[in-house]
Parts: sequence; structure tokens; C-alpha cells
Amino acid sequence: MSENAGVPSLADLCARAVRAARTGEGVEAYAGGGRHVDVRVRAGRVESLTSAETRGVGVRTVIDGRVGYAYAADPSLDEVDALVDAARQSAAFAEPDEFNVLPAIEQAEPLSGLYRETQELVPAERKVSTALEFERAAVSAHPDVRKVRSASIADAVSRVAIASTRGGPVTYERTDCWASVSAIAERDGEMQMGFEFALARELDDLEWEPAARGAAERAARLLGGEQPKSERLPVVLDPGAATAFLSVLAGALSGEAVLKGRSPLASMVGQSVGSPALTLIDDGRLPGGTGSAPFDDEGVKTGRTLLVEAGVLRGFLHNTYTGARSGRPSTGNAGRSDHRSVPGVSPSNLSFEPGTLSAEEILRQAGRAVYVQDVTGLHSGASSITGEFSVGATGLVVEGGALGRPLREMTVASTLLEVLSGVREVGSDLRFFPMGGSIGAPTILVGEMTIAGT
Amino acid sequence: MIDAQVVQDTLNRALTTGARFAEVFVEDRSSTAIRLDDGKIEEVVAGGDRGAGIRVFHGETQAYAYTNRLDPGSLEEAALAAASAVRDGGDRVEMVDLRSGPSAAPELPASTDVSRTQKVEWLREADDAARAVDATVRQVMVVYGESRQHVMIANSMGDWTEEVRPRIRLFAQVVAVRDDVMQTGFEGPGALAGPEFLRRRPPSATGEVAARMAVAMLDGRPAPAARMPVVLAPGGGGILFHEACGHGLEADLVQHDASIFRGRLGETLASPLVTGVDDGTVPGEWGTNAFDDEATPTHRTVLFDGGTLVGLMYDRLRADGDGVPSTGNGRRQSYAHLPIPRMTNSAILAGDARPEDVVASTPHGLYAKALGGGQVNPSTGDFVFGVAEGYMIEQGKITGAVRGANLIGNGPQILAGIDAVADDFGVRHGICGKDGQGVPVSNGSPTLRIADMTIGGTDA
Repeated sequence: MSENAGVPSLADLCARAVRAARTGEGVEAYAGGGRHVDVRVRAGRVESLTSAETRGVGVRTVIDGRVGYAYAADPSLDEVDALVDAARQSAAFAEPDEFNVLPAIEQAEPLSGLYRETQELVPAERKVSTALEFERAAVSAHPDVRKVRSASIADAVSRVAIASTRGGPVTYERTDCWASVSAIAERDGEMQMGFEFALARELDDLEWEPAARGAAERAARLLGGEQPKSERLPVVLDPGAATAFLSVLAGALSGEAVLKGRSPLASMVGQSVGSPALTLIDDGRLPGGTGSAPFDDEGVKTGRTLLVEAGVLRGFLHNTYTGARSGRPSTGNAGRSDHRSVPGVSPSNLSFEPGTLSAEEILRQAGRAVYVQDVTGLHSGASSITGEFSVGATGLVVEGGALGRPLREMTVASTLLEVLSGVREVGSDLRFFPMGGSIGAPTILVGEMTIAGT
Repeated sequence: MIDAQVVQDTLNRALTTGARFAEVFVEDRSSTAIRLDDGKIEEVVAGGDRGAGIRVFHGETQAYAYTNRLDPGSLEEAALAAASAVRDGGDRVEMVDLRSGPSAAPELPASTDVSRTQKVEWLREADDAARAVDATVRQVMVVYGESRQHVMIANSMGDWTEEVRPRIRLFAQVVAVRDDVMQTGFEGPGALAGPEFLRRRPPSATGEVAARMAVAMLDGRPAPAARMPVVLAPGGGGILFHEACGHGLEADLVQHDASIFRGRLGETLASPLVTGVDDGTVPGEWGTNAFDDEATPTHRTVLFDGGTLVGLMYDRLRADGDGVPSTGNGRRQSYAHLPIPRMTNSAILAGDARPEDVVASTPHGLYAKALGGGQVNPSTGDFVFGVAEGYMIEQGKITGAVRGANLIGNGPQILAGIDAVADDFGVRHGICGKDGQGVPVSNGSPTLRIADMTIGGTDA
């Protein structure tokens, strides 16, 4: 957001909120704003071009251990005062909890490369022409792929400021740019869809060509699929499918779920929860990570948290509240979707540590197995509370050490702990996906899961 | 909300580069959310959001610009941003005339006199009722959410509408634990209404239903991995209809040639027992509005009539493309989103079988009492949905609980395989996600049976 003359900066808005605090009150303000452009193309034409400039402020008050929250879009300085009042009134209805405390805010070391001024200067015309080229690349990558559901190039410049009665303001800015495409393959009246994406800090670094080819290949290889027989088989999870699984596990690793009896891992710290091949790390300062930031969404410096080490559970992710209630420091994992939400616990860049085998080598070791390319119905079919999951899947048969005929209309089911302990190989091809934070996994071979089909 | 002259000037500005259509969408929304978790009122959140989006059509291209600022200068800037995106259109200037004034949606009787103290009390009632169900109830979360969305839409065709949409929902999620088994239950009725809705749908009942589900599932054994008949309790068939064919009948997917239902209007694709509609006019229902998010009055659209595909759901852009009127299904999450064709309240209508006979005539199958959400791949028609509370049917009787199953099927095949439709009816409420936008929808159906469907359990 251009910090125009006459328009208060995000840091000014936060500072104003803090000044409105009365003696003994904790007041925190989070201000976010940015510019966003999204170009969608289809059939060689621009379908839509969206441009936006928005900002907002959320105020949290902590008064005698009671939390109140209020937010507004683009408030003036006077409206910020009213927000503090609204949050104060809300707090009166909440119940006190001694662990409701605001963290000390200190200047965190900046992360280099998070913001690229060059991206702010990219003209809309170039985004449009790139989007058109991107779609052309997808529809010329495979003879069975002649159209896309949509292809898009988008970018965002985002700025965040946080201040509280315990410090700040601290600020950062970032640029993000992404390409995504759903390619449609078609043969004999049957259609299949393949999704791919690419992420970067700026358009010049965005590797959209492999994404275009990948989407086409992923769609085309599913054509002619059949429903498999129901049976228990080894499963090879594609990095995207493994990430979907990890996103469910992430819910069980949240300090909040643990404290509130909603995690099957709650009492297992120090115990083996999975195969020795598994190490799981959250790294909020990962260079180039889309979930990286110098501080989390309540101003606490981000860091690196070892969650599972060679199969042994080492800990959970925390924000200030869940940390305080668990008797440990925040891990810098306070997260909010934007200024409208109270901080919860979110992964930053959460991933399995990659192994040494390539995806091809894993396929050679798998024996007769099912390769899962995409999963659907994750929000209804997988629970981080019960640990049970059953998701729809498309994929391919693995036989003779390679991918064979396609499979459709199947489900893959197991429990989180069974999958973790059943992991036989972890690949070297780690890839991050934007799924409620940035979550990454390589290709993973799991000993056995239930495939349901005919 | 905004001065008529400013609206008119903004539209004129948006048309300066030769667009064939321009629209202003202005929204002012206030929301309150109260969360009880872990036995405590954890947080009370009050918020406001406002913004405006300016949209123009140029051929089949849409340009859209949105901002939080509603002053004339910012609206002009957004109008120019939208207009400049299609600047190859020359300098044709078409003046918009909005002198007739906006058509206002009928005022809804939403009371605002419910105190925060009362709302907090409702959450406690839900929590108490859930915990009273059984000693195995370990954790209860209840969320109260209300919003008031004030929308003004004006366009270069002369449509100009203003509507206030109050929405209310109370959602309970319960965790029950016995030994090392943890199970969950949920319930979340909502309405286009004010908080007084909760006097008709008492929070204690919501808490109790959620708790009973969690407790019942503690006895569940792993669901089978097999194909068998499935009987869906009232409402469940609506979720099936939504995923099995609803999304595939949204005109954007059909026009993009990306839906399995493309080019099949007039064909008998579903069982003759299936008549399905989308109806944005049901009074007070969760997915209802007077106007859609493009100023088109909402509508009742018959999609399947006795098994024959007879209708699609349109927004303005796709209706223009097919040369038909919009069905009032152009919806958006907020000013920060482009409208797209979306369902409102979709339902399979009741038939004439008795629900108990549907179960009694099923020798072996699954009874899905409550469903979670689902997801569809509209290109293949393959869809899944989660069974939140399921039981086996043996010799025509509902027997033991089973857990951990998603159901998977292919839309047209499943619709054709519906072989019993009962005379009862129920509705479920949810938020449907598409293209990154969530909108409130309801799904209704009677008890119905699918002759053969894949159960995705772990017991192979």
C-alpha cells in the first residue's frame, strides 16, 4: 500500500491504538494492508482481471485476563480509538484466564529477500501477457490437453505492523507471486483435471512453465481410469497428497488442540509416534519459504521447532497463550488469516525432512502399490481430533517399479498414527504447498492403507 | 448508502473505455462472534468491514477493482482501474441514468434487542446441554456468529438495489472420549434472520444433538471398504445433490466445457424419483437473499424434473453468454470477490415412500444419519462426502455404529441409482467453498436410498 500523505501508516494506526490503553490494560493492534492483482485467462482470452487495495486493523485488549477483540476496514485514527473501546466492551463479556497475556514485542532481525521492490513495479500488461503464455504452455504440453478450467497469474504486496503496550511497532513487507492452472485432458468424451502451481517472490523468478507442463501431464495420465478393487495395499503418496495428510497432522500438533483435548498426540511427547524415517520441522525463517516472516502474527520472533525427530514426538507449536498455559515459550506460531481474526496457532513452513531416494527409486521399491496423485474431501473425511481419515483419491497403479494404469473413484483410509508408523521411505523431492500455512512433503511410501473401490 | 450522484458518476467513469456493462457493488458488514471453548467464554469479537467493487464487462472479459474506501475519489480511482483494464474499446461513452432510485428488498424482521448477556447465556446453555448428555463428553466448543450485511448494487442497465441481510448461526462441536477412542459430533443451524432465530432453534438442542453424535460414535467399529446400498437421513441427500450434480450445473463450469453435464439438458440422467431445485427465495433460509449479488431477484430454478435435467444456475455473465436471463445465482463472498454462479438453497423434493419402509426394505447397507461436507471434481463427476454419524443396516434394521467413512461416487451414476425417496424432509446448513469464496448454502432432502455406492472405510 502506498503510504500516501494524509493517510496514516499501518504503524501509526497501531501506535494510536496503544496510546488509547488505560492504566493496567493490555492493548495490541495488528494492521495489515496491501495491493493484489489477479489475472485469469481461458481459451486464449483474459477472463477476468482483478485489482485491489485494502487495509484493516484488529485490536485485542487483555483486561484482568479477559480478551476482547474488534476490527475494522481502513479505519481513520479516530476510528482506531473507537475500536479500542469496542474491544474493551467485548472483554467485559469474556471470562478471565491468567494465561491471557500479550507477548513482549522486540525488533526481530529482518528476513532478506522477503520484499522485492522490482515486483511492485511490474506493469499489469506483463502479468496479462504472462498469464496468456502460461495458458498456451498448458494447452500445448500434451496432445490430450486442449483447454484449461482456468489459468491465473496473481501477485500481492503485503504489509504488516504490530504494536502493543508491551512494545513495537514492528513492521515488515513482502511480495508474493503465483501461477496456478487446472488443465483438462479429454479423450473419447471423458475429462480429467490436473492442477499445478508455482510460487515465487517476484514474477521474474516464477517458474510457470514446469507448472503448465505438470498440470497437463497430471490430467492426461488419469484418462481411462477405472475403479480399483477394495483391498489393503502399500500406498505411494505424491508430495501434494503427502502434504494433504500432513495438513491434518498439523492440527494435532497445535498446542491449542493439545490443551483442549482435541489432539490424539496430546500425551505422547517423548514417545515414538512414527517410523524412524520421519523427522518433522516447522521453520518460520526458511529462506524463500512462503510461510516465512520475521515475526509471527502477535509480534513474536519466528524460529525453528523440531516436532518429530526420527519418529519420536518432541513437542508442539505454540502461540503466547498456549505456550504460557503449557509452561513454555511461544514457538512463534501465532497465526491469523488477517486483521479480522484473533491469533490462533498455525504452522509457518512445516515439512518432513527429505530423505535420499528420488520418487523413481521409491516407486521401484514399492512393489504392487497404489500411487495417490490427488485427494478430495479432506475437510469432511479427515479429522485431526479422532485421527481417522478417509479421503477420495485419484492415482495410478504401481507395478513393476513404475506407474501403470490410472485409478479413479477410490478412497484411501487409515489413521494418522497408523500412517506415521507405517512410513517406509521418505523421498528427496520435498515441495511446499500453501495449505493453511506453508506445508511441505516429499514423495512418501506407506506400508499399507485401505483402498475402497468395487 | 452512497449518494445517487456518486453512484452514477462512478458507473459513467467505468464505462469511459467502451465497456458494455458496468456495476458498482458496495457492502457494509458488521459481525459479532462469541466463542465458548473449554468451559469458558474465551473471546468476544466485534467487527466491521466495508468496501466497494467496480466491475466492467468488455466482450467476455471482466475487469474488477475493489477498495475499502467509499469516498467519491476512491470510487473514481477504482472505476478508472477497472476501465483501464479493457482500454482497447475506444472512447464510446454511454451515460447511465439511475434517477428512478433503488428498489429496496423487503425489510426483514430482525430484532436487535437481544443483549450480549443473553447471547453469552445461550452459549452456556448449549455447553451445559452437551455436557449433560454423557460422562464421556470431554470437550465442547460453541460459536455464536451473527452478521448484518448491507449491500447496494447498481449497474449500467439501470438496475439498482439495496438490501440488508441479517444472518445468524450457532455451531457446536463436541469431543467424547472413552479409553483411547476420541470421537466428535457437530450441529450448526443457521438462518437469514436476527438472533431471535435462536428462540426457535434453542442452543441447548444444538449442543445436545452434537453431543449425542459424538457419544454414539464411541461405539462405532471401523466402517467397511465395500460397495453397498446407502440410506441417507433427511438433509443428507441434499448434501449429496449439492456435490453429485449441483456444482456441475453451475453455468460457468458448463460454459467452460468443464462439467460432466455439458450439453445434456433435456436428457433423463437421474432416477425418475428425483426432482431437484435450487431456491434462493425460501423465507428466512440460510442461503436466501432477496437479490443475488448482481441485483437480480433470486429465483426458484428446477434443475431435475422427474429425473430429466431441465435447468442450470446462471449469473449475469454466463446468462449473457447463453442468451438467457440470469437465474439469480450470481453470488460473492464479499466486495473482494467477483460474482460466480453458486447454489443458494438446493434440495431434492420429498417423494411418497415412508422413511421406515426405506430402511426396512434394505437387507444390508449403510445408514448415514449425519453427513459432513463433501467435494466434487466437476469434470469427472466423481465426488466424496463424509459420514459423520453412520450405522449398518442389517435385515432392514439400523444396527451398530460405524465410523471413519467417506462415501465416493460418480454424480450421474448416483443420481440414476436413487431407488427410494421418502415423504419426510430435512435441511442442513453450511458454507460452500468454490474458487476460494465461501457463501452460506442450505441442502435439503427427504430420506432416500442409493442402490449401490462405495463406502470408503478401513475394513477391507
